[in-house]
Amino acid sequence: MIFEGAYKRNERLLLGALGLLIFAVFWESVVRLGYLNPITASSPSRIAQAFASQWHNGAILKNSRIFLFELTVGFTLAFIVGVTLGIAMGVNRLVEYAADPFVWLIYASPTIAFYPLLMIWIGFGSATVITVTFLLTFVSIVVNTMAGVHAAEPQMIRVLKVFGGKPIDIILKVIIPASLPLMLAGVRIGLSRAFLGVILGEMFSSNAGFGYDIAYYAGQLQTATVFVSIIILIVIGTIINLLFTAVEARLFAWKAR
Amino acid sequence: MAQLEVKDLSLSYPGSRSGSTFLALDKVNVSIEKGEFVTIVGPSGCGKSTLLMLVAALLRPTSGAVQLNQKDVTKPGPDRALVFQDFALLPWRTVIKNVELGLELKKVPSAQRRKEALKYLDMVELGKFCNHYPHQLSGGMRQRVGIARALSVDPEVLLMDEPFGALDAQIRQVMGLELLRIWERERKTIIFVTHDIDEAVYLGDRVLVMSASPGRVIQEVKISLPRPRDLSLRNKAEFTAYRETIWNLLEKQVQANGAWRQDSALS
Amino acid sequence: MHRSLLAHRLAPLIVGLLSVSLFLLIWEIAGSTETVRSELVSYPTQILSAFKRLILSGELAQNTLISLREFGEGFAAAIVIGIACGVAFALSRTIRYLFEPIFVALYTAPIIVFVPVLVVWFGIGTTSKSIAVFLSAFIPIAINTTTGIEEISESWVRALRAFGASRTQIIFKAMLPGAIPSIMAGIRLAIGRGIVVLIAGEMYVSMSGIGRLISIYSVAPDGVPEIFVLVAVVATFGYVCVLLFSLIESGLTPWRSHS
Repeated sequence: MIFEGAYKRNERLLLGALGLLIFAVFWESVVRLGYLNPITASSPSRIAQAFASQWHNGAILKNSRIFLFELTVGFTLAFIVGVTLGIAMGVNRLVEYAADPFVWLIYASPTIAFYPLLMIWIGFGSATVITVTFLLTFVSIVVNTMAGVHAAEPQMIRVLKVFGGKPIDIILKVIIPASLPLMLAGVRIGLSRAFLGVILGEMFSSNAGFGYDIAYYAGQLQTATVFVSIIILIVIGTIINLLFTAVEARLFAWKAR
Repeated sequence: MAQLEVKDLSLSYPGSRSGSTFLALDKVNVSIEKGEFVTIVGPSGCGKSTLLMLVAALLRPTSGAVQLNQKDVTKPGPDRALVFQDFALLPWRTVIKNVELGLELKKVPSAQRRKEALKYLDMVELGKFCNHYPHQLSGGMRQRVGIARALSVDPEVLLMDEPFGALDAQIRQVMGLELLRIWERERKTIIFVTHDIDEAVYLGDRVLVMSASPGRVIQEVKISLPRPRDLSLRNKAEFTAYRETIWNLLEKQVQANGAWRQDSALS
Repeated sequence: MHRSLLAHRLAPLIVGLLSVSLFLLIWEIAGSTETVRSELVSYPTQILSAFKRLILSGELAQNTLISLREFGEGFAAAIVIGIACGVAFALSRTIRYLFEPIFVALYTAPIIVFVPVLVVWFGIGTTSKSIAVFLSAFIPIAINTTTGIEEISESWVRALRAFGASRTQIIFKAMLPGAIPSIMAGIRLAIGRGIVVLIAGEMYVSMSGIGRLISIYSVAPDGVPEIFVLVAVVATFGYVCVLLFSLIESGLTPWRSHS
């Protein structure tokens, strides 16, 4: 009975771990039984070995530092520009109409294809990575912030006016809080796009970082080392997602569930 | 001198057909004394809420003026606090933070703000709920927050736009009683818009009866019922007589309106 | 009133057109007069003639067809398998929890990180690209199918059950039709993800395709106008895909009002 209760509570985690375990065992045995080439297919045990050696030579820490630096700078710039432009576009029609085509152009166009151009313009390395991350990220924040501002109910704005609020009060006390849920949804999309931006940048226009290592070791047919980078990226991404969910839960205690 | 003066107030919108105009309000004149409780009834579309919006200066009149203490009203301000039919609480603020809103905009320091807000929350018997969010409260409780918010800025005039319109019948009666109790204590000037004749008679010192298209005040009915009033008043003969009078005024309205609509449909 | 109504409708168009044409004009003048180095930024008329060149040489059509095929194969598989997975997850919590970590992992990492491995496994040809498109597209479709089914009103299912419907009938007569809007939203998300991974994959290593053309012209000494053309082609492709699926959606859900 006690075990049943504990199982019910943790069913999701336990089944998830079981799923992963089955997957790993299956992979390992297929390779061990000789159905797949152990070098190119790699296997969980080979990945573990590669992890140990990558850890010891410091590549993991170095790459994580580079990755987080590029992600943070690109994302922060995108956040500042995105929120400011999004609010300006949401509040002022003229700004909206003038900026809209460009925002949608960047939003709809495959930013990846701009890489060669950016490399020609900016050069090789972190600056290009950050620029692409910025471009990929800021549009989703702009679009959602603007939608959030439009979602502010006119009645709420009327309340502020009735009690003598000035335009700045309306922006600070109604428009920003009202647009926060959609804005943060945009930030979440932006974060995943920033993730993509950094990886793409490192793969195509840099000589360091996980993205670079993935392309490099794949070229050397060292699949296990490639998977080490992939797994660490997944872990970093999951941690960021969890943090974000926690922040959202705190900020939106006021929402009816 | 009257505290609030509405002089020849008119408002017209461009009509649905090109070149036509729709007269929402036609030369409305009202004067209200300090501390008076005035209720406004009329069929829907008679411009009773519009009149309130003009007093709040959320709308601009086509002609005429609203004067508070002999001064023209040009923009919204906390001297004419409005209570909304849909409560219009900010959902991301707790109850007490909602009440503090007006004080915040008046730049009242935060400690004093909190004290004042609590005072009015206690007045509407919601002191215990000050840290709840609006979505956790019932409709009646939310409107009490709305009333506390309006009172907290110490307005000269309290404007109430069908404040109990979104509540069910029993809660309406309780809220009416409570509003009277608060008014007896605070003696604020109140303009109260409703479509409920009983409510208008029961609450008001004076009932303004309005007609639709164009919106006009067709009659003022002085209610000489004793105060303080309670629910038993509704069974008294005088009360019924007032209700009868107002209903007769409105009935003609509604019928005339219906006839007019038929005419226009035929033409 | 009428003038203001007109202004209200046309203002976004006029202001938008003005700001775009101003941008194009400045670009054209700055590029063609060499105020800025045109081999870096090109200019609109130069890009137009590059477009003409790419069409006349047949380069564009040939590579577009290859990219289309890669995308089509991967995306078709993603729709079928994605919806099937979504239904399975909606029906059984056990299956869903078993696969959840793998799904989350695939959704957290941009699929481009798997492309180098896919190339090792399946070669530099079209197969590795199709699989990459499949991997990046099927997850949002599966997730949206599951949420779509979960959001269906319980009363529909109850009504069908009351009339003696079998499990399969419930899936095909209530769950899937009701989930169409959500599935379509997933497909729209998947289009964007699929295109990015396709172009990036082709750029990474391939023998043909739009992405391959982009990487060729990015190292050519005067390839900038061609890159602009190719970017526009990819953007148009994405736009047409989204449009196509919107049409399919309105066709599949005539009961909804489309504004």
